[in-house]
Amino acid sequence: MIRQLLSLIPELSIITWSPFVGALLIMFTARHRPRAVRWIAAVTTGLSAVLSIRVYAAYDYDTAGFQFYEKLPLVPPLGISYELGADGISLLMLLLTSIIIVAGVFASWTVKVRSQEFYALLLALVTGVYGVFVSLDLFVLFLFYELAVLPMYLLIGIWGSTGEVRPRGVFAWAFRETGVGTKEYAAMKLTLYLLFGSAFILVGILALYVNAGASSFSFLDFEASAFPRALQRWVFLAFYVGFGILAGIWPLHTWSPDGHASAPTAVSMLHAGVLMKLGAYGVVRVGMGLLPEGAADLAWLVGTVACVNIVYGALSSMAQTDLKYVIAYSSVSHMGLVMLGAATLTEPGLNGSVFQMFAHGVMTGLFFALVGLVYEKTHSREIGKMSGFGKTMPGIATAFTVGGLSSLGLPATAGFVAELLTFLGAWRSAHRWWLFAAVAGTFLTAVYVLRVAKQIFWGPPAREFHHLEDARGPEWVALVVLVFVLVLFGMVPGLAIAPVGTATVPLLARIVSP
Amino acid sequence: MMAFTLELGLAVLLLLVFGASLGARGRDRRWIAWLATVGILVLGIVSAFLKPTPPALFGMFVQDGLAIFAKRLFLAATFIGLLGGISSDAVACGRRAGEYHLLILSSLLGMLVLASARDLILLFVAFELMSIPLYVLAGFLKRQDEAVEAALKFFLVGSVSSAVMAYGLSFVYGAARTTDLGGVAQAFVPGQPLVLLGLLAVFAGFAFKIAAFPFHMWVPDIYEAASTPFVAWLSVAPKAAGFVALFRVYFEGMGDRAATWVPIAAGLAAITIVAGNLMALPQQNTKRLLAYSGIAHIGYMLVGFAAASASGTAMVLFYLVAYVFGNMGAFLVVEAVARSEGSEATAALRGLAQRSPLLALAMLLFLLSLGGIPFVAGFWAKLYVFWAAAAAGLYWLVLLGALLTVVALFYYLLVAKRMYIEPPAAGAGPLRLPGTLALALILCALAVVGLGLYPKPVVMAALRVAAPLF
Repeated sequence: MIRQLLSLIPELSIITWSPFVGALLIMFTARHRPRAVRWIAAVTTGLSAVLSIRVYAAYDYDTAGFQFYEKLPLVPPLGISYELGADGISLLMLLLTSIIIVAGVFASWTVKVRSQEFYALLLALVTGVYGVFVSLDLFVLFLFYELAVLPMYLLIGIWGSTGEVRPRGVFAWAFRETGVGTKEYAAMKLTLYLLFGSAFILVGILALYVNAGASSFSFLDFEASAFPRALQRWVFLAFYVGFGILAGIWPLHTWSPDGHASAPTAVSMLHAGVLMKLGAYGVVRVGMGLLPEGAADLAWLVGTVACVNIVYGALSSMAQTDLKYVIAYSSVSHMGLVMLGAATLTEPGLNGSVFQMFAHGVMTGLFFALVGLVYEKTHSREIGKMSGFGKTMPGIATAFTVGGLSSLGLPATAGFVAELLTFLGAWRSAHRWWLFAAVAGTFLTAVYVLRVAKQIFWGPPAREFHHLEDARGPEWVALVVLVFVLVLFGMVPGLAIAPVGTATVPLLARIVSP
Repeated sequence: MMAFTLELGLAVLLLLVFGASLGARGRDRRWIAWLATVGILVLGIVSAFLKPTPPALFGMFVQDGLAIFAKRLFLAATFIGLLGGISSDAVACGRRAGEYHLLILSSLLGMLVLASARDLILLFVAFELMSIPLYVLAGFLKRQDEAVEAALKFFLVGSVSSAVMAYGLSFVYGAARTTDLGGVAQAFVPGQPLVLLGLLAVFAGFAFKIAAFPFHMWVPDIYEAASTPFVAWLSVAPKAAGFVALFRVYFEGMGDRAATWVPIAAGLAAITIVAGNLMALPQQNTKRLLAYSGIAHIGYMLVGFAAASASGTAMVLFYLVAYVFGNMGAFLVVEAVARSEGSEATAALRGLAQRSPLLALAMLLFLLSLGGIPFVAGFWAKLYVFWAAAAAGLYWLVLLGALLTVVALFYYLLVAKRMYIEPPAAGAGPLRLPGTLALALILCALAVVGLGLYPKPVVMAALRVAAPLF
């Protein structure tokens, strides 16, 4: 009886819309009450988190496929419906989003300026992210995608930090004319790049809709229809470019370091931790899932660009002196690993890719939370000026080191599993040389991560910073949760591999034998 | 008689306003504005009950679904435009209130007839009836040099375009030996040069009226110089009328042969989108910015026209509806801000979100709608137009259009940045908004959000009226 009642609960909808309800509550009930704002945010995202753990545990591995299915026709004559469902990949991404947003809410506990609007926008954005991961209707997916992208403009523009971001290229020209500050520059660049990508996505979706003749936007209907190979090729390219921009593919990645460096802590965490995965998820789910032949034909391109990402991102990261830029460029490098794993079109590679999305999301969320804490205490992000914080803030130093070790792929951390699987996939793929780029990337990662960790935390203490304190109160929540997850999934990778495998195997089967 | 209900009603209203302006005394003649506004509201309500009737005047005048749809749109736009203008003391309600409203109403009469014209002569006459009052209105602020210059420019370029159009129509008549549009369509055989040449010249004339790219020069100057409530109306209503006439001339009775216009329309759409959006980038005056962005919007509507299909036509109609409310709303916000700040520069919007949050939110909604962001009307408008073009196989045009929306969002977001991110000037308090202007803004905002959340009724209506054309 209770079990039946429980099965009636639309879990995915609640997960998706709970933060949005929180945003509305904050806008309408919590004016000038910052404490209420934070608690509403914590409770609504907490509800999503609890439910996403529940669906993760309740997923039935034997039947696999899309579960927790919900459908509600929205615009019947056009075939648009609110259709949700989650398979192994989506579940892991839901879990990631929940972890990061809960950590993010606690990490930005100290936002004072216009905190009501800040949390409202942040929560609306999270609804968009959840929505993309669970939508089975491409049209609704697109709407959620836009919802996830647009609040970013105001979040960075208003609460961002005016750092060392230097306008360059065509944007510099446009901005000279309008005379805006650097955080507005970063916000605008990020928003326009992502909207530029969404233009490609929209064209791709329309092309599929027109050619499928199915008069529905449902993922399942598209999956069932066979598109001609030529069409598949260019539509896959459109999806690759469109979603790939969000995943930071070279040479369209330049929005990401500037954006992440200028964004406030929680937004950096969410953006680097989750939104970039949205892009990779889109390429895998929509691109490879719907266009198997197109994906098979263009895998060489995806993989080669990914190799450039890995090496270029790591080299750029080594050259940075601003701590936030180091982390931002390392995201570019790691997203390369994600895309490389997917491009191998092998089972370990694709599993590694999805696992890397998760591992990197948690890891980079941790990094940005730590950078935010350090900046708050020292008001500096210059690596050269900071030294010996290990003495004054041992907790932060430990967390940073764990994150760094995961980043360079030390065994017993989540990063190791992800990288190992990706390497395996690259070795088994048609382009064995990809492995060298991947391994070189890991080596370079070790160089820059250890350099930063040594300089900031484990060197001799600098005199001007002797009064610093370790993390306090709610700030601990973010650090402990993220470190715990990193180690847990490193020790027990099966927790993630098992559900992901149920989704990747059928996906690959369609690509390899169409 | 049923076919002419609206036209006759409007003529009566014209006479009323004329008589009223003869009898008016004193400096404050706001009641004339009220008379015209209420009259338009009544006509609008009447139009809601209109049913299609058989052609009248030997088939010259049709009151079909398309005509009724368009007339409702014109009346709605005029109502909002007049409502927004009532509170402006200088122009619309001073000593010359009678002239101002007479001119607007007679131009509207031209539009109403144009929407129903199915004969080349009636079409041309209606076009001139619509245009000539606009020339006068553009120079209505006759003591300002810019207004006179803009009006003269408008008049000269407009007359040349009318001449080109008349010249083209003469070719069409020469080849088809009839002025009936159905007959012209019969005479149109692809490859037959005379009709093609004539229709091309007519197309150029239309392109001027709707302000497509190489024929757009008059737009920014007029928008900047003329009074804002009038510009709000000018930016939407005559263009909507131009599109309806385009559909009549090029699609009605053409059937499959309409596809001849696809390359021309697609090319014009492409350069209009690119040019309009790029020229809008450096603008510092909000009205000029909206003028150039308006040119780009015409390009997007031409994308739907280029699809040369019933769905394409319907989607342009929907686009027009979304554009009317979004664009008029944006202009009216500019008017509201200009009235208290005395400036129409984008800088005047600084910190609006902290001064008048609701006004800033309304402006944001209009800008997002114009930019084509989900959950407001403009998104569906762009999406449907692209959809129609994709169904016609014009993928390159869709991609181009979609990419240029990013450029458009750049300048719309710059305005949003001024309102939301920049702090207000020291000591600036909330804006004072006259009741009528606020009501006009609320109507626009409701329409933009309503259509954004539930576009279906308008889309279905547009599809229904567009279907008989093909």
